[in-house]
Amino acid sequence: MDAVTYPTASVVEFISKNVTPLRIPSDSEPLATDFMIKWTPTLIILDENGREHFRTVGFLTPEEFVPSIMLGIAKYHYGLDRFQSAIHCVDDVLKDHPKSSAAPEAVFLRGVLGYKSAHDAMSLKKAYERLAEEYPGSEWAKKALPYRLIH
Amino acid sequence: MGESIVWESDLKKALARAGAEKRPVLLDFFNPG
Repeated sequence: MDAVTYPTASVVEFISKNVTPLRIPSDSEPLATDFMIKWTPTLIILDENGREHFRTVGFLTPEEFVPSIMLGIAKYHYGLDRFQSAIHCVDDVLKDHPKSSAAPEAVFLRGVLGYKSAHDAMSLKKAYERLAEEYPGSEWAKKALPYRLIH
Repeated sequence: MGESIVWESDLKKALARAGAEKRPVLLDFFNPG
């Protein structure tokens, strides 16, 4: 991460605009135990009360870092019931990074957010249809399978 | 050489800053080597 991802200009800009960055050595106690850190890098999104909303383990390229953390920020907003902010983040992932590893889960979450924010069940079916069309081999297409029956 | 990330190193300070800036904290547990 230090050699490739963090020096990348787009990553520096993304972090400076969207999060408060905090680095802790993985052998730092009691935090390593409190957060159950078993491998590095482990990246976690926290709210201001220290509650965890998202984590990812393992190296991320600069191209994958931004959509992955943006998805994490969407989950942070979702966890705080800020549905419109979450939708905005998810839509950014899908608009700017449609080929990223985060994209299929972003489609799934978009469906969930549409349902949770407006009680629109068709949002779930649309998510299934998009996953089946654009990301048919993803685990998220499988998780959305029941939504194909919505009408 | 462009700008680099300015990391916080203290959890309490980062949480307070996140609250003031209305942003989440990105916490990176890294291998110190």
